[in-house]
Amino acid sequence: MLREYIATFHSHFGAARFHKEKVKEGKKAYLQPVPRDLSSSCGTAVHFYVEDNGKSEPLSIKDPHGEIEQIVEIVGHSYKVCYAPLE
Amino acid sequence: MNFKAERIHIAIAGGIIGIISVALVLLGNPANMGFCLACFIRDTAGGLGLHRAEAVQYIRPEVIGLVLGAMILSMARGEFAPRGGSAPVTRFFIAFFVMVGALMFLGCPFRMVLRLAGGDLNAVVGLIGFVVGIAAGVFFLKNGYSLKRTYKQTMVEGLSLPIVQLVLLILLVSAPAFIFFTAEGPGAKHAAVIYSLGAGLIVGALAQYTRLCMVGGFRDIILFREPKLLIGFCMIFLTALIGNLIFGKFHLGFADQPVAHTDSLWNFLGMVLAGLGCTMLGGCPLRQMVMAGEGNADSAVSYLGLLVGAAFCHNFGLAASGKGPTPNGKIAVIIGLVVLVCIAFMNTFGKKEERS
Repeated sequence: MLREYIATFHSHFGAARFHKEKVKEGKKAYLQPVPRDLSSSCGTAVHFYVEDNGKSEPLSIKDPHGEIEQIVEIVGHSYKVCYAPLE
Repeated sequence: MNFKAERIHIAIAGGIIGIISVALVLLGNPANMGFCLACFIRDTAGGLGLHRAEAVQYIRPEVIGLVLGAMILSMARGEFAPRGGSAPVTRFFIAFFVMVGALMFLGCPFRMVLRLAGGDLNAVVGLIGFVVGIAAGVFFLKNGYSLKRTYKQTMVEGLSLPIVQLVLLILLVSAPAFIFFTAEGPGAKHAAVIYSLGAGLIVGALAQYTRLCMVGGFRDIILFREPKLLIGFCMIFLTALIGNLIFGKFHLGFADQPVAHTDSLWNFLGMVLAGLGCTMLGGCPLRQMVMAGEGNADSAVSYLGLLVGAAFCHNFGLAASGKGPTPNGKIAVIIGLVVLVCIAFMNTFGKKEERS
Protein backbone atom coordinates (compact mmCIF):
# COMPACT_ATOMS: atom_id res chain seq x y z
CA MET A 1 0.00 0.00 0.00
CA LEU A 2 1.26 3.47 -0.84
CA ARG A 3 1.13 6.27 1.72
CA GLU A 4 0.73 9.80 0.45
CA TYR A 5 2.65 12.84 1.74
CA ILE A 6 3.10 16.54 1.05
CA ALA A 7 6.29 18.36 2.00
CA THR A 8 6.51 22.17 2.17
CA PHE A 9 9.74 24.15 2.11
CA HIS A 10 11.31 27.48 2.98
CA SER A 11 12.26 28.04 -0.69
CA HIS A 12 11.44 26.78 -4.19
CA PHE A 13 15.04 25.57 -4.47
CA GLY A 14 14.57 23.35 -1.41
CA ALA A 15 11.47 21.83 -2.96
CA ALA A 16 13.20 21.21 -6.29
CA ARG A 17 16.16 19.52 -4.58
CA PHE A 18 13.89 17.32 -2.41
CA HIS A 19 11.86 16.37 -5.49
CA LYS A 20 15.02 15.37 -7.35
CA GLU A 21 16.13 13.24 -4.40
CA LYS A 22 12.78 11.43 -4.20
CA VAL A 23 12.79 10.70 -7.93
CA LYS A 24 16.38 9.41 -7.61
CA GLU A 25 15.21 7.07 -4.81
CA GLY A 26 12.66 5.69 -7.27
CA LYS A 27 9.67 7.19 -5.48
CA LYS A 28 6.68 8.66 -7.25
CA ALA A 29 6.88 12.43 -6.60
CA TYR A 30 5.80 15.66 -8.24
CA LEU A 31 6.00 19.40 -7.62
CA GLN A 32 2.82 21.37 -6.96
CA PRO A 33 1.73 24.68 -5.36
CA VAL A 34 1.42 24.59 -1.56
CA PRO A 35 -2.22 23.77 -0.67
CA ARG A 36 -3.90 26.77 0.97
CA ASP A 37 -5.12 24.75 3.96
CA LEU A 38 -1.50 23.85 4.74
CA SER A 39 0.02 27.32 4.59
CA SER A 40 -0.56 30.94 3.59
CA SER A 41 2.69 30.71 1.61
CA CYS A 42 2.34 30.53 -2.16
CA GLY A 43 5.49 28.48 -2.63
CA THR A 44 6.25 25.03 -4.00
CA ALA A 45 5.41 21.72 -2.32
CA VAL A 46 6.42 18.15 -3.15
CA HIS A 47 3.65 15.54 -3.29
CA PHE A 48 5.18 12.09 -2.90
CA TYR A 49 4.34 8.48 -2.11
CA VAL A 50 6.09 5.95 0.11
CA GLU A 51 5.52 2.19 0.18
CA ASP A 52 4.06 1.11 3.54
CA ASN A 53 6.55 -1.48 4.80
CA GLY A 54 4.54 -2.43 7.86
CA LYS A 55 6.29 0.00 10.18
CA SER A 56 4.12 2.50 12.05
CA GLU A 57 5.98 5.34 10.27
CA PRO A 58 7.61 4.32 6.98
CA LEU A 59 8.98 7.78 6.29
CA SER A 60 12.68 8.35 6.86
CA ILE A 61 13.51 12.05 6.75
CA LYS A 62 16.87 13.57 5.97
CA ASP A 63 17.10 17.36 5.93
CA PRO A 64 20.81 18.29 6.05
CA HIS A 65 20.15 21.73 4.53
CA GLY A 66 17.29 22.67 6.90
CA GLU A 67 14.97 23.43 4.01
CA ILE A 68 11.89 21.43 5.01
CA GLU A 69 9.13 23.47 6.64
CA GLN A 70 6.92 20.46 7.35
CA ILE A 71 5.83 17.09 5.99
CA VAL A 72 2.24 15.92 6.36
CA GLU A 73 0.60 12.62 5.51
CA ILE A 74 -2.72 12.78 3.69
CA VAL A 75 -5.16 10.72 5.71
CA GLY A 76 -8.62 10.75 4.17
CA HIS A 77 -9.54 14.43 3.79
CA SER A 78 -7.15 15.71 6.44
CA TYR A 79 -3.45 16.01 7.17
CA LYS A 80 -1.35 14.34 9.85
CA VAL A 81 1.85 16.22 10.62
CA CYS A 82 4.82 13.82 10.37
CA TYR A 83 7.70 16.26 10.53
CA ALA A 84 7.87 19.89 11.62
CA PRO A 85 11.39 20.87 12.72
CA LEU A 86 11.74 23.45 15.48
CA GLU A 87 13.69 26.60 14.59
CA MET B 1 -6.75 19.60 0.30
CA ASN B 2 -9.29 20.82 -2.20
CA PHE B 3 -7.98 22.66 -5.24
CA LYS B 4 -11.50 23.00 -6.66
CA ALA B 5 -12.70 24.88 -3.57
CA GLU B 6 -9.57 27.05 -3.69
CA ARG B 7 -10.34 27.94 -7.31
CA ILE B 8 -13.92 28.90 -6.44
CA HIS B 9 -12.75 31.06 -3.51
CA ILE B 10 -10.16 32.88 -5.58
CA ALA B 11 -12.66 33.43 -8.43
CA ILE B 12 -15.15 35.02 -6.01
CA ALA B 13 -12.40 37.12 -4.40
CA GLY B 14 -11.15 38.27 -7.81
CA GLY B 15 -14.69 39.24 -8.81
CA ILE B 16 -15.16 41.32 -5.65
CA ILE B 17 -11.76 43.00 -6.09
CA GLY B 18 -12.63 43.91 -9.70
CA ILE B 19 -15.89 45.53 -8.56
CA ILE B 20 -14.06 47.43 -5.78
CA SER B 21 -11.48 48.68 -8.31
CA VAL B 22 -14.18 50.15 -10.56
CA ALA B 23 -16.00 51.60 -7.53
CA LEU B 24 -12.83 53.43 -6.42
CA VAL B 25 -12.58 55.11 -9.84
CA LEU B 26 -16.22 56.17 -9.60
CA LEU B 27 -15.50 57.53 -6.12
CA GLY B 28 -12.60 59.67 -7.32
CA ASN B 29 -9.46 57.64 -8.12
CA PRO B 30 -7.77 58.27 -11.51
CA ALA B 31 -9.17 56.29 -14.46
CA ASN B 32 -8.07 52.65 -14.70
CA MET B 33 -6.39 53.17 -11.31
CA GLY B 34 -8.80 51.76 -8.77
CA PHE B 35 -5.72 50.00 -7.51
CA CYS B 36 -2.08 50.34 -8.52
CA LEU B 37 0.58 49.42 -6.03
CA ALA B 38 3.36 51.10 -8.01
CA CYS B 39 1.41 54.34 -8.46
CA PHE B 40 0.12 54.39 -4.89
CA ILE B 41 3.53 53.72 -3.33
CA ARG B 42 4.93 56.42 -5.66
CA ASP B 43 2.20 58.84 -4.47
CA THR B 44 2.97 57.94 -0.86
CA ALA B 45 6.68 58.65 -1.44
CA GLY B 46 5.60 62.05 -2.78
CA GLY B 47 3.27 62.67 0.16
CA LEU B 48 6.23 62.13 2.47
CA GLY B 49 8.34 64.54 0.43
CA LEU B 50 10.75 61.84 -0.78
CA HIS B 51 10.28 63.23 -4.28
CA ARG B 52 9.02 66.62 -5.46
CA ALA B 53 6.83 65.71 -8.43
CA GLU B 54 3.92 67.90 -7.38
CA ALA B 55 1.34 66.02 -9.45
CA VAL B 56 1.78 62.75 -7.54
CA GLN B 57 1.95 63.47 -3.82
CA TYR B 58 -0.66 61.79 -1.63
CA ILE B 59 -0.39 59.13 1.09
CA ARG B 60 -2.67 56.50 -0.44
CA PRO B 61 -4.90 54.78 2.17
CA GLU B 62 -5.38 51.77 -0.12
CA VAL B 63 -1.81 50.57 0.55
CA ILE B 64 -2.26 51.13 4.29
CA GLY B 65 -5.48 49.12 4.16
CA LEU B 66 -3.86 46.29 2.18
CA VAL B 67 -1.15 45.74 4.77
CA LEU B 68 -3.48 46.12 7.76
CA GLY B 69 -6.24 44.00 6.21
CA ALA B 70 -3.79 41.17 5.56
CA MET B 71 -2.40 41.54 9.08
CA ILE B 72 -5.80 41.45 10.78
CA LEU B 73 -6.98 38.37 8.88
CA SER B 74 -3.68 36.52 9.25
CA MET B 75 -3.77 37.16 13.00
CA ALA B 76 -7.39 36.00 13.20
CA ARG B 77 -6.50 32.80 11.32
CA GLY B 78 -3.35 32.18 13.37
CA GLU B 79 -1.18 32.69 10.27
CA PHE B 80 0.67 35.84 11.35
CA ALA B 81 4.28 34.66 11.45
CA PRO B 82 7.23 37.07 11.72
CA ARG B 83 9.86 35.71 9.34
CA GLY B 84 12.79 37.16 7.42
CA GLY B 85 16.50 37.03 6.71
CA SER B 86 16.31 35.88 3.09
CA ALA B 87 18.79 38.21 1.35
CA PRO B 88 17.12 41.47 2.46
CA VAL B 89 19.60 43.81 0.74
CA THR B 90 19.32 41.93 -2.56
CA ARG B 91 15.54 42.07 -2.26
CA PHE B 92 15.71 45.82 -1.68
CA PHE B 93 17.55 46.35 -4.97
CA ILE B 94 15.33 43.93 -6.90
CA ALA B 95 12.24 45.79 -5.63
CA PHE B 96 13.90 49.10 -6.54
CA PHE B 97 14.17 47.97 -10.18
CA VAL B 98 10.66 46.48 -10.16
CA MET B 99 9.48 50.03 -9.47
CA VAL B 100 11.68 51.40 -12.29
CA GLY B 101 10.05 48.92 -14.68
CA ALA B 102 6.53 49.56 -13.39
CA LEU B 103 6.90 53.34 -13.69
CA MET B 104 8.18 52.92 -17.24
CA PHE B 105 4.94 51.08 -18.07
CA LEU B 106 2.95 53.31 -15.69
CA GLY B 107 1.43 50.63 -13.53
CA CYS B 108 2.02 47.50 -11.51
CA PRO B 109 0.66 44.11 -12.70
CA PHE B 110 -2.63 44.88 -10.90
CA ARG B 111 -3.09 48.13 -12.82
CA MET B 112 -2.05 46.36 -16.01
CA VAL B 113 -5.16 44.19 -15.63
CA LEU B 114 -7.31 47.24 -14.84
CA ARG B 115 -5.92 49.05 -17.89
CA LEU B 116 -6.81 46.00 -20.01
CA ALA B 117 -10.31 46.09 -18.55
CA GLY B 118 -10.56 49.77 -19.48
CA GLY B 119 -9.74 49.00 -23.13
CA ASP B 120 -6.12 50.27 -23.01
CA LEU B 121 -4.38 48.15 -25.67
CA ASN B 122 -0.94 49.38 -24.53
CA ALA B 123 -1.50 47.05 -21.57
CA VAL B 124 -1.57 44.08 -23.98
CA VAL B 125 2.02 44.94 -24.91
CA GLY B 126 2.81 45.28 -21.20
CA LEU B 127 1.21 41.90 -20.51
CA ILE B 128 3.38 40.21 -23.16
CA GLY B 129 6.47 41.80 -21.60
CA PHE B 130 5.32 40.76 -18.14
CA VAL B 131 4.93 37.11 -19.20
CA VAL B 132 8.35 37.17 -20.90
CA GLY B 133 9.87 38.53 -17.67
CA ILE B 134 8.18 35.82 -15.59
CA ALA B 135 9.30 33.12 -18.04
CA ALA B 136 12.88 34.38 -17.66
CA GLY B 137 12.47 34.25 -13.87
CA VAL B 138 11.09 30.70 -14.07
CA PHE B 139 14.13 29.69 -16.15
CA PHE B 140 16.35 30.73 -13.24
CA LEU B 141 14.01 29.09 -10.68
CA LYS B 142 14.17 25.79 -12.57
CA ASN B 143 17.95 25.99 -12.58
CA GLY B 144 18.25 26.52 -8.84
CA TYR B 145 17.71 30.27 -8.26
CA SER B 146 17.26 30.98 -4.56
CA LEU B 147 17.68 33.90 -2.19
CA LYS B 148 18.02 31.32 0.63
CA ARG B 149 15.43 30.49 3.25
CA THR B 150 13.73 32.72 5.79
CA TYR B 151 14.00 32.37 9.55
CA LYS B 152 11.70 33.06 12.46
CA GLN B 153 11.94 36.67 13.66
CA THR B 154 10.74 38.63 16.66
CA MET B 155 7.21 40.03 16.86
CA VAL B 156 8.66 43.57 16.64
CA GLU B 157 10.25 42.70 13.29
CA GLY B 158 6.98 41.31 11.93
CA LEU B 159 4.90 44.25 13.15
CA SER B 160 7.26 46.98 11.95
CA LEU B 161 5.69 47.65 8.56
CA PRO B 162 2.06 47.46 9.79
CA ILE B 163 2.99 50.00 12.50
CA VAL B 164 4.59 52.24 9.86
CA GLN B 165 1.34 52.03 7.90
CA LEU B 166 -0.62 53.10 10.99
CA VAL B 167 1.72 56.08 11.40
CA LEU B 168 1.14 56.97 7.71
CA LEU B 169 -2.61 56.84 8.31
CA ILE B 170 -2.27 59.23 11.26
CA LEU B 171 -0.15 61.57 9.12
CA LEU B 172 -2.71 61.45 6.30
CA VAL B 173 -5.65 62.22 8.55
CA SER B 174 -3.92 64.84 10.72
CA ALA B 175 -2.22 66.43 7.65
CA PRO B 176 0.71 68.23 9.36
CA ALA B 177 2.50 70.93 7.35
CA PHE B 178 5.40 68.67 6.32
CA ILE B 179 3.11 66.19 4.49
CA PHE B 180 2.51 66.99 0.81
CA PHE B 181 -0.87 66.94 -0.91
CA THR B 182 -1.21 67.34 -4.68
CA ALA B 183 -3.43 70.26 -5.63
CA GLU B 184 -3.76 69.33 -9.30
CA GLY B 185 -2.92 66.08 -11.13
CA PRO B 186 -3.33 62.33 -10.55
CA GLY B 187 -2.39 62.71 -6.88
CA ALA B 188 -5.36 65.02 -6.35
CA LYS B 189 -7.74 62.40 -7.71
CA HIS B 190 -8.71 60.08 -4.92
CA ALA B 191 -11.71 58.59 -3.20
CA ALA B 192 -12.49 59.74 0.35
CA VAL B 193 -10.07 58.30 2.92
CA ILE B 194 -12.72 56.10 4.52
CA TYR B 195 -13.62 54.45 1.19
CA SER B 196 -9.99 54.01 0.11
CA LEU B 197 -9.02 52.58 3.48
CA GLY B 198 -12.05 50.28 3.57
CA ALA B 199 -11.31 49.04 0.04
CA GLY B 200 -7.70 48.39 0.99
CA LEU B 201 -8.72 46.46 4.11
CA ILE B 202 -11.14 44.25 2.14
CA VAL B 203 -8.72 43.61 -0.74
CA GLY B 204 -5.87 42.94 1.72
CA ALA B 205 -7.96 40.40 3.59
CA LEU B 206 -9.20 38.73 0.39
CA ALA B 207 -5.68 38.58 -1.04
CA GLN B 208 -4.38 37.09 2.21
CA TYR B 209 -7.10 34.45 2.25
CA THR B 210 -6.65 33.46 -1.40
CA ARG B 211 -2.91 34.25 -1.87
CA LEU B 212 -3.83 36.25 -4.97
CA CYS B 213 -0.71 37.06 -6.98
CA MET B 214 -0.35 38.01 -10.62
CA VAL B 215 3.23 36.74 -10.86
CA GLY B 216 2.33 33.56 -9.00
CA GLY B 217 -0.50 33.02 -11.47
CA PHE B 218 1.76 32.88 -14.52
CA ARG B 219 4.60 31.18 -12.61
CA ASP B 220 2.29 28.35 -11.49
CA ILE B 221 0.94 27.93 -15.01
CA ILE B 222 4.49 27.58 -16.38
CA LEU B 223 5.83 25.45 -13.50
CA PHE B 224 2.85 23.24 -12.60
CA ARG B 225 0.13 23.90 -15.21
CA GLU B 226 -1.96 25.09 -12.23
CA PRO B 227 -4.34 27.97 -13.18
CA LYS B 228 -5.72 28.71 -9.69
CA LEU B 229 -3.96 32.03 -9.01
CA LEU B 230 -4.53 33.22 -12.55
CA ILE B 231 -8.28 32.62 -12.19
CA GLY B 232 -8.34 35.42 -9.61
CA PHE B 233 -6.88 37.94 -12.00
CA CYS B 234 -9.10 36.75 -14.86
CA MET B 235 -12.07 37.47 -12.61
CA ILE B 236 -10.69 40.92 -11.71
CA PHE B 237 -10.42 41.61 -15.45
CA LEU B 238 -13.91 40.31 -16.16
CA THR B 239 -15.77 42.20 -13.42
CA ALA B 240 -13.76 45.40 -13.98
CA LEU B 241 -14.50 45.11 -17.73
CA ILE B 242 -18.24 44.70 -17.07
CA GLY B 243 -18.16 47.61 -14.59
CA ASN B 244 -16.31 49.84 -17.05
CA LEU B 245 -18.78 48.98 -19.82
CA ILE B 246 -21.76 49.73 -17.57
CA PHE B 247 -20.39 53.06 -16.35
CA GLY B 248 -18.97 54.22 -19.70
CA LYS B 249 -15.34 53.89 -18.62
CA PHE B 250 -14.32 51.52 -21.43
CA HIS B 251 -12.37 53.17 -24.27
CA LEU B 252 -10.73 50.71 -26.66
CA GLY B 253 -7.49 51.78 -28.32
CA PHE B 254 -3.85 52.73 -27.92
CA ALA B 255 -4.04 56.53 -28.02
CA ASP B 256 -5.37 58.93 -25.37
CA GLN B 257 -5.57 56.35 -22.61
CA PRO B 258 -5.53 57.71 -19.05
CA VAL B 259 -2.09 57.82 -17.37
CA ALA B 260 -0.49 55.78 -20.16
CA HIS B 261 1.81 56.23 -23.15
CA THR B 262 1.93 54.48 -26.51
CA ASP B 263 5.63 53.60 -26.78
CA SER B 264 5.29 49.83 -27.18
CA LEU B 265 8.98 48.94 -26.91
CA TRP B 266 9.32 50.62 -23.53
CA ASN B 267 5.94 49.40 -22.28
CA PHE B 268 7.20 45.92 -23.15
CA LEU B 269 10.67 46.29 -21.62
CA GLY B 270 9.32 47.98 -18.50
CA MET B 271 7.09 45.02 -17.80
CA VAL B 272 9.83 42.50 -18.68
CA LEU B 273 11.84 44.15 -15.89
CA ALA B 274 8.87 44.14 -13.50
CA GLY B 275 7.97 40.51 -14.32
CA LEU B 276 11.52 39.24 -13.87
CA GLY B 277 12.01 41.19 -10.64
CA CYS B 278 8.69 40.08 -9.15
CA THR B 279 9.46 36.42 -9.94
CA MET B 280 12.84 36.81 -8.24
CA LEU B 281 11.10 38.34 -5.20
CA GLY B 282 8.48 35.57 -5.12
CA GLY B 283 5.46 37.76 -5.77
CA CYS B 284 4.01 40.89 -7.32
CA PRO B 285 3.84 44.17 -5.35
CA LEU B 286 0.31 43.30 -4.13
CA ARG B 287 1.56 39.97 -2.78
CA GLN B 288 4.56 41.69 -1.16
CA MET B 289 2.21 44.03 0.74
CA VAL B 290 0.08 41.09 1.86
CA MET B 291 3.09 39.06 3.00
CA ALA B 292 4.41 42.12 4.85
CA GLY B 293 1.05 42.22 6.62
CA GLU B 294 1.52 38.56 7.56
CA GLY B 295 4.78 39.50 9.31
CA ASN B 296 7.25 38.81 6.50
CA ALA B 297 10.15 41.21 7.08
CA ASP B 298 11.66 40.47 3.65
CA SER B 299 8.48 41.72 2.02
CA ALA B 300 8.65 44.79 4.25
CA VAL B 301 12.16 45.39 2.85
CA SER B 302 10.71 44.96 -0.65
CA TYR B 303 8.18 47.70 0.20
CA LEU B 304 11.08 49.97 1.17
CA GLY B 305 12.82 49.13 -2.12
CA LEU B 306 9.66 50.03 -4.04
CA LEU B 307 9.28 53.27 -2.04
CA VAL B 308 12.88 54.39 -2.58
CA GLY B 309 12.71 53.27 -6.22
CA ALA B 310 9.63 55.46 -6.74
CA ALA B 311 11.38 58.45 -5.16
CA PHE B 312 14.42 57.93 -7.42
CA CYS B 313 12.20 57.57 -10.49
CA HIS B 314 10.74 61.03 -9.96
CA ASN B 315 13.83 62.78 -8.58
CA PHE B 316 15.98 61.63 -11.52
CA GLY B 317 13.41 61.75 -14.30
CA LEU B 318 13.19 57.98 -14.78
CA ALA B 319 9.40 57.68 -14.66
CA ALA B 320 7.46 57.80 -17.92
CA SER B 321 4.41 60.02 -18.33
CA GLY B 322 1.52 60.35 -20.76
CA LYS B 323 4.02 61.96 -23.14
CA GLY B 324 6.17 58.82 -23.17
CA PRO B 325 9.36 57.48 -21.63
CA THR B 326 12.33 59.71 -20.78
CA PRO B 327 15.94 59.07 -21.94
CA ASN B 328 16.93 58.60 -18.28
CA GLY B 329 14.11 56.10 -17.81
CA LYS B 330 15.24 54.05 -20.83
CA ILE B 331 18.80 53.90 -19.48
CA ALA B 332 17.49 52.90 -16.03
CA VAL B 333 15.38 50.05 -17.46
CA ILE B 334 18.39 48.68 -19.38
CA ILE B 335 20.57 48.96 -16.25
CA GLY B 336 17.79 47.26 -14.25
CA LEU B 337 17.61 44.33 -16.69
CA VAL B 338 21.40 43.89 -16.58
CA VAL B 339 21.51 44.10 -12.77
CA LEU B 340 18.62 41.66 -12.27
CA VAL B 341 20.07 39.13 -14.71
CA CYS B 342 23.43 39.38 -12.88
CA ILE B 343 21.72 38.86 -9.51
CA ALA B 344 19.75 35.92 -10.92
CA PHE B 345 22.89 34.36 -12.40
CA MET B 346 24.88 34.74 -9.19
CA ASN B 347 22.08 33.22 -7.12
CA THR B 348 21.57 30.38 -9.59
CA PHE B 349 24.86 29.30 -11.11
CA GLY B 350 27.22 30.96 -8.64
CA LYS B 351 26.47 28.57 -5.78
CA LYS B 352 27.24 25.16 -7.26
CA GLU B 353 28.87 23.97 -4.05
CA GLU B 354 25.51 24.15 -2.25
CA ARG B 355 23.63 22.20 -4.87
CA SER B 356 24.72 18.62 -4.19
